[in-house]
Amino acid sequence: MGWVTEWAPTKVELDACIDCGLCLPVCPTFQLTGDEAASPRGRLTAMRAVDEGIMVVDERFGEIMDFCLQCRACEVVCPSMVPFGRAMEGAKAEVVAQLPDARRAFKRSVFGRALRVRGLVTMASWMAAGAQRTGIAPRLPGLLGRIAGLRPIPIPVPSTRGRTWDPDGIPKGTIALFSGCVMDPWFSEVHVAVIQLLRTAGFRVVAPEKQTCCGALAAHEGAAYDAADMVERNVQAFEGFDTVVVDAAGCSAHLKAHAGGDGASLAARVVDATELVASLIAEGSLPTIDVDRGPVAIQDPCHLRHAQRIVDEPRAILRAAGYQPVEIDTHGMCCGAAGAYQLSHPETSDELGRRKADQVRTTGAKIVASANPGCEMQLRTHLDATVRVAHPVELYWEAVSEARVIAGN
Amino acid sequence: MARAVDELTALLGDDRVRDHPLDQHLFAKDAGLRRGGAPIVVFPESSDEVAAVVKIAGAHGMPIVARGAGTGLAGGAVPQEGSLLVVLTRMNRIFEIDEVGRTAWVGPGVVNLDLSEATADRGLHFAPDPSSQSACTIGGNVATNAGGPHCLAEGSTVAHILGVELVTADGSTVILGGEAPDTPGYDLRGVIVGSEGTLGIVTKVLVRLTENHLDAATLLMAFDTIEDAARTVSEVIAAGVVPAALEMMDKPMCVAVENFVQAGYPTDAAAVLLADVLGHPAGTAASIELLSDIAVRNGATSVRVATDESERALLWKGRKSAFGAIAQAAPDYYLNDTVVPRTRIAEVISKTYEIAERYDITLMNVFHAGDGNLHPLVSFDAAEPGMTERVVAAAREMVTVAVAAGGTLSGEHGIGFEKRDLMSSVFSPEDLDAQARLREAFDQDGVLNPGKVLPEGSRCFDWGPA
Repeated sequence: MGWVTEWAPTKVELDACIDCGLCLPVCPTFQLTGDEAASPRGRLTAMRAVDEGIMVVDERFGEIMDFCLQCRACEVVCPSMVPFGRAMEGAKAEVVAQLPDARRAFKRSVFGRALRVRGLVTMASWMAAGAQRTGIAPRLPGLLGRIAGLRPIPIPVPSTRGRTWDPDGIPKGTIALFSGCVMDPWFSEVHVAVIQLLRTAGFRVVAPEKQTCCGALAAHEGAAYDAADMVERNVQAFEGFDTVVVDAAGCSAHLKAHAGGDGASLAARVVDATELVASLIAEGSLPTIDVDRGPVAIQDPCHLRHAQRIVDEPRAILRAAGYQPVEIDTHGMCCGAAGAYQLSHPETSDELGRRKADQVRTTGAKIVASANPGCEMQLRTHLDATVRVAHPVELYWEAVSEARVIAGN
Repeated sequence: MARAVDELTALLGDDRVRDHPLDQHLFAKDAGLRRGGAPIVVFPESSDEVAAVVKIAGAHGMPIVARGAGTGLAGGAVPQEGSLLVVLTRMNRIFEIDEVGRTAWVGPGVVNLDLSEATADRGLHFAPDPSSQSACTIGGNVATNAGGPHCLAEGSTVAHILGVELVTADGSTVILGGEAPDTPGYDLRGVIVGSEGTLGIVTKVLVRLTENHLDAATLLMAFDTIEDAARTVSEVIAAGVVPAALEMMDKPMCVAVENFVQAGYPTDAAAVLLADVLGHPAGTAASIELLSDIAVRNGATSVRVATDESERALLWKGRKSAFGAIAQAAPDYYLNDTVVPRTRIAEVISKTYEIAERYDITLMNVFHAGDGNLHPLVSFDAAEPGMTERVVAAAREMVTVAVAAGGTLSGEHGIGFEKRDLMSSVFSPEDLDAQARLREAFDQDGVLNPGKVLPEGSRCFDWGPA
């Protein structure tokens, strides 16, 4: 039966793979299983078999695609430059279209629909905040137990949308803030750090009211039509802004990859917060703090390191804050959070999470920096409370404000 | 077959036995062109499980093919239709490392580069370094007697394997070779290395580890003609300085690689040589000077010396990504693997260019110049009607040219399916018969990786027992 959607992997994408196998060792699921069917090359071969009409999209095909973390580590080592992440999103869209089952329908309704409804996200946040305050959070079963990885959620649940922040003097420009779906209520300190740093550097910051979830989780779960709607709404919301700063790596990667096309492409105007802050430090608009704050372990979110190839910037930011970045993993192996993956494949996710937590513990560092909310939750779930997990920009803002207080005194 | 699946499932569990058509399809091929078919795929995790699997296959009359990471190019791990495919990637434990004796017992599924990384803090590494070393397994290296750039000075895999544990065709487990420098009796270890899974399934490997070098430098030398580069190679070897590696890449290859790694490979030179010199700092300094002098005397247009580890790594990444990087030109590729005397490299290469032109195909060259191991690489689109046949015909002519120049069929990829029918161009019927009788001694019924290495009719003389 072949493909049925406009998102299907294309012949050009699939033909780029020549089966060399250099992707195998960097693929977390291949590392865990040694199984061709759990490798990028195997997945592409399966897609090609459907494309050529040799195989159909059946339950086994769905299983093979669903087992992929979509970390895109394979893209970095691929000498043929196969756009694997794009092809996999297409394959997942096909799976959702051709294999309707309750589990996938549920994921689609959560990631394709609910995340863009602010009321629902806020309601869920109030409930999570309540669970944290009554102390039942750690004892919740199954999926709900994952909220153990959350930061304490403030009450009332904060939001940046529709707000503007001005710098002290005359603004040297305006930067739009991408608020995100769960970043706003669950990771508000990161937004605060970004906003305050941009103000310090002399910018006005605007968070447009009409923006919505980036759609990354929807696209990864095969809800391609919903994801495209969300991108469209964001394209409209951010019209007229030259720079759009995004402080969740998964969201910046998704917007860069998908919000392209038209002349005033949003994709070209999106910048990850780590890139922006690092460049402001490099040009001298933000300070370098000369204090030894000790070691910080670095965890590279896959969609920062593999999808956007941003590696140096978070390290530069931490050094500017006075920390010594400590490497934990030369290949940048996925921590297993992988968006919705931790919900659909908890065993694999936990195994990768444990490995990542072990790598962090081995360094002895009491802080680990991660620039993506999903990774942050995963790290917090698998590390004990003695290790702090924070966004590098957040750590830098703390250092900057502390230095100011000292200077003020 | 359903009975075989049941018995295997009882042994290994659901998760480690596959017979879904999609799984069969994914395991039907390696990194080469040919596709086979395996109705059942299993993932054993120990020598005992392999032995039990072999016995079950035997009871059901199924041929057995072993597979590692599937990075082979000659079809060695491509299962003949109806085979039971034994995937050894999960047998990836490093059992013990003897730092003083510089040996290690490892599972066949250990990835080549992982072994070197695991022994790095002891100042040791596993010397054979195929281009696929980040992905390929030690078991596959043993099967094909794999080479690699640094085998010029260190020798190919056979020089680094001291012993193997082997599950034989009847499911018994034997140890061949051992830790002693010269084990008594026949050198069956040497027979197993390069046997491509036709004599047994290697379930453990005793490898020799090599000391890491104190100092290293990489030279990138550019030339206006392939002849200049080839003359440099001959003169370097004749001068008695054997660099650790000496590789050549032609212009189309440099362009493709540079597009991927941006390592500063010249894209306007007709050929480049990449040389590695390793050893004591005093020795490397002298070697760099000598190599540079010889290159310049032979017309090198530039010589770049990388002593910084990250710059060296980048240059080598370019070389080792070559086979994948050619996909930028077309969706399929065919990689040849012939050996010629060093003095005839330029002549043979120019003949391969002529062949490519005659067949109207895109040719790139990247190869181990130091030991004359050529890799003419054809980039093409198999979807174009008649194209694959044209490419295979051209490749056969290239092999013929190499053999006629005093060379041979295969340097390091093995014979597999790919070169099987060309074996008679380098071996007499008597030679092939001797090899076939050795194979029979290990595998009377021909159940291990049938259809590989030896052409049909190799056993043409009825000299065996009645």
